Amino acid sequence: MATKKEEKNTKKHERKGLDEFETETTKEVEQKTFQIAQNIVDQIKRGVSPTFTTKVRGLSNVYFDEEKQYIQLGDKKTVRPFLNLGAARKFMQTMLVNDKCNEYLKEGKTASIREIYYELKRTVANTKENTFDGQNESNEVIVDIEHAANTIREKLGLHAESKGSLYGDITLKDKKHDNDVFNCNSLGRGGWSIMSRIEPEEIEIVDVNADVVLVIETAAMYNRLIEERYARQHNAILVGTGGQGARGARRLVHRLRYEYDLPVIVFTDGDPYGWYIYSVIKSGSMALAAHSKYMAVPDAKYVGMTLTDVETYGLQNVTEKMKEGDVKRAKELMNYDWFKSKEWQAELKLAIDKKIRIEQQALANKSLDFVAKKYLPEKIEKEIFL
Amino acid sequence: MAEKVQEKKEIVRKEVEAEQLFTEFKEHSVADFFKKNKQMLGLSGKQRTLTTIIHELVTNSLDACEEAGILPEIEVSLSELGTEYYEISVVDNGPGIPEDKVASALGKLLAGTKFHRLVQTRGQQGIGVSGIILLSQMTTGKPTKVISGTNKGKTVSLEIAIDSKTNTPKVTDKHYLDNKFKGLALKCKFKDLIYKKGQNSIDEYLRRTAIANPHLTLQFQDPQGEVTKYTRTVNKLPNIPTAVKPHPRGVTVDEMLTYARHGSARKVNSFLTSTFDRFGQTAVDNIQKLVHFDLNKDPRALSWEEAEDLIKAIKQTKFIAPSTDNLVPIGEDHIKKSLKAIVEPEFLCVVTRKPTVYQGGYAFQVEAGVAYGGKAGRLVSVEKIKDKKEVVIEEVRASEIIRYANKAPLLFDAGGCAITKTVESVDWKRYGVSNFDNSPITVFVNLISVHIPYTSAGKSAVSDDSDIVNEIKLALMDVSRKVGIYIIEKKREEEKKEKKKVFAKYAPYVVEALVHTTGEKNKDLLLKNLSNMVLEKLKMEEAGVKAPEDDVVEDDSITEEEEFEE
Repeated sequence: MATKKEEKNTKKHERKGLDEFETETTKEVEQKTFQIAQNIVDQIKRGVSPTFTTKVRGLSNVYFDEEKQYIQLGDKKTVRPFLNLGAARKFMQTMLVNDKCNEYLKEGKTASIREIYYELKRTVANTKENTFDGQNESNEVIVDIEHAANTIREKLGLHAESKGSLYGDITLKDKKHDNDVFNCNSLGRGGWSIMSRIEPEEIEIVDVNADVVLVIETAAMYNRLIEERYARQHNAILVGTGGQGARGARRLVHRLRYEYDLPVIVFTDGDPYGWYIYSVIKSGSMALAAHSKYMAVPDAKYVGMTLTDVETYGLQNVTEKMKEGDVKRAKELMNYDWFKSKEWQAELKLAIDKKIRIEQQALANKSLDFVAKKYLPEKIEKEIFL
Repeated sequence: MAEKVQEKKEIVRKEVEAEQLFTEFKEHSVADFFKKNKQMLGLSGKQRTLTTIIHELVTNSLDACEEAGILPEIEVSLSELGTEYYEISVVDNGPGIPEDKVASALGKLLAGTKFHRLVQTRGQQGIGVSGIILLSQMTTGKPTKVISGTNKGKTVSLEIAIDSKTNTPKVTDKHYLDNKFKGLALKCKFKDLIYKKGQNSIDEYLRRTAIANPHLTLQFQDPQGEVTKYTRTVNKLPNIPTAVKPHPRGVTVDEMLTYARHGSARKVNSFLTSTFDRFGQTAVDNIQKLVHFDLNKDPRALSWEEAEDLIKAIKQTKFIAPSTDNLVPIGEDHIKKSLKAIVEPEFLCVVTRKPTVYQGGYAFQVEAGVAYGGKAGRLVSVEKIKDKKEVVIEEVRASEIIRYANKAPLLFDAGGCAITKTVESVDWKRYGVSNFDNSPITVFVNLISVHIPYTSAGKSAVSDDSDIVNEIKLALMDVSRKVGIYIIEKKREEEKKEKKKVFAKYAPYVVEALVHTTGEKNKDLLLKNLSNMVLEKLKMEEAGVKAPEDDVVEDDSITEEEEFEE
């Protein structure tokens, strides 16, 4: 054990998985936001129709990299002109967000994406219109700027709300908060609330004493496993994503996998939404395709729930009916390149045919501790993964 | 002038004829005749009856003024005396009626009526002022107050009632007034009437009357004392329509017999050539070959069967189309002037079509106008939700169709009228009106004919004769096309303005952010350049030149929030 742990500690210093922009200084990123604005100023001065260029995300510009086994972003660019009726508003919004980020970086401040929305929301003079009608509008523009500046929002002085929890024998140091050092095994039942930014210069992983990382979709199941002392008995680190994995949780799982060489196992509800949570951990997401490199864990394993479990564990009467949207989503998943494996196609087809789904909590039908005492140990031991 | 004399003679002759006709139902009381024929006389419904009363009185004034060559000025006022109880007063500046003729002109039913005259008349029912006096008397038991002033003699004031048994006037309270007055003033009371505003109101009736009579100055005072005045826009009197001989193609068996009995010809053949328009010797010869009786017989001895035979033969005979030169349209310029003054639209287009013939026998003519924007259309109240919660009533403009038969407004039975149907059948989208019902549009249609084909005895809707529908359609298409060009151009202009506004509202925010980020000193230059670029771009767009940024379509980029949406 001791030797293994030493190895891990040495690995940590290689800062594996970090990209060039992960090491960019605040000054450098500030310069990028300045340059975006300066280019447009120059265009206007020359009397050239001002445009803002960023990369296209979404299905038309993402592809599944067979070799690396995760989603990558293509080269397709999108040009947003001011002098286009459909684009003028978004262009204005982009300039506001870019300017605000530039200001945060200059002044060494950070804000949540909700805060920047409220900071920039106002009524456009002489109209009944707002600069932003809902956070989704500023969110979209933030992603545009991330891609235009080839950086991530955290580098722009922005962060998402903390989302997801960490529990287990792992010691962290919060370098941005008085260098607090704490072990996530002794923070009580809730564990540690995962920050949106988990970069080494902020959160240092001091020590890890575990054999596996278990990623759990629902907070209820995360709590169940803690209560059953699953982490301690099985030497596991529990990451509760609370639904779809946020950047912080994904980045943390990625670091544990590559910096500490821990296997990653994902445990979600048995439905298209749950399976997509697994998919995002494993192959990355379309919206963050540019960052898959330090988010995706292509060898992550999926333990459940599966529709086979329904048969194996006799859960037929605790399945739920899939809604129209679930079926539609399942059909979409079938078309994604990263769901093309024989096993997944079979599972999705089964779900579409039977129109049923199974929740993690359905295991409580057997007994509360069934999941910790039998289901997970048995499936992980025998490596019954999908 | 000679023509006018002839016209007067004609009227006199017809009056005699009418009196003869009247004797036929004299034994019945005229009041009974009224009650039994309410529908036909336009006296069904409390609101409609009021409109009919106003119509008869105003028409009487208009006709009197026009015949006397006076530019009409009419004042109508309505006051509420009690529940469903009103007093109506109509004052005109016409020639007045000489003192000795007042009683017989107004207090005798069917006197001076245009009954059985084939002439373009404003009226629909034509019960005349005497009919109105009788109606007043029937509902209230009160006489009608009349003041008449001619240029000669004194102004006379009297009260007229009608003895409905003998159809003779009863004059009371006759006296002379000192003040000088020329014209006729009538004041009568009615029960069982309802006055309300809206599409079928007399306000609307009078507004439409003013539109169709640009030479008329009309004032209306409603029961609340509110006065609406329409001032004439044209200082020229319209020509007076002349009576025409009926065209053989339009005549029915019944009419044929009536004409035959009242004519002066000795033989059927001379009766035909003298009574009907376009009836020559060739036609007579042809018809003689077709009918089974001798055309030399006395027309008064014509039997129903023979008349039927005659009509059948007429149908198989060729006739020159009826002459159309006796029709008197309002005229494009005049309609334009009054629509402009009364409707106050933003844009206006009017056409008066050439006269033509329907069913082979009757001349008719269509005038159509489309007024768009401004105050065109009618005001309707709609509920709107303000700020997502509060419900407010807002007034918006909706389309209106104003129908006329011989310049008289048709207010009722809109849905069953060929004019309405034809207007609605127009593909308004082609003319830039995407939602006809909710657009600020007034569509004007005036159908002129010596014989308007109504759908029913109520005479408030035109039946859909294909020749007439076709003419209305052509007229509407003609004006709509021109209005359409304007609307589309206007929309383009508005779009341009709208676009300019879009860029103008965002530009300061863009520049502000850019200046703040970069520390650029020359903010005004940025604003000026941007604004110039916008103008340049819009100019290019107008010229049809595409700029590269026009093709930009928003990409399908998604955010995490969207991608992960459950």
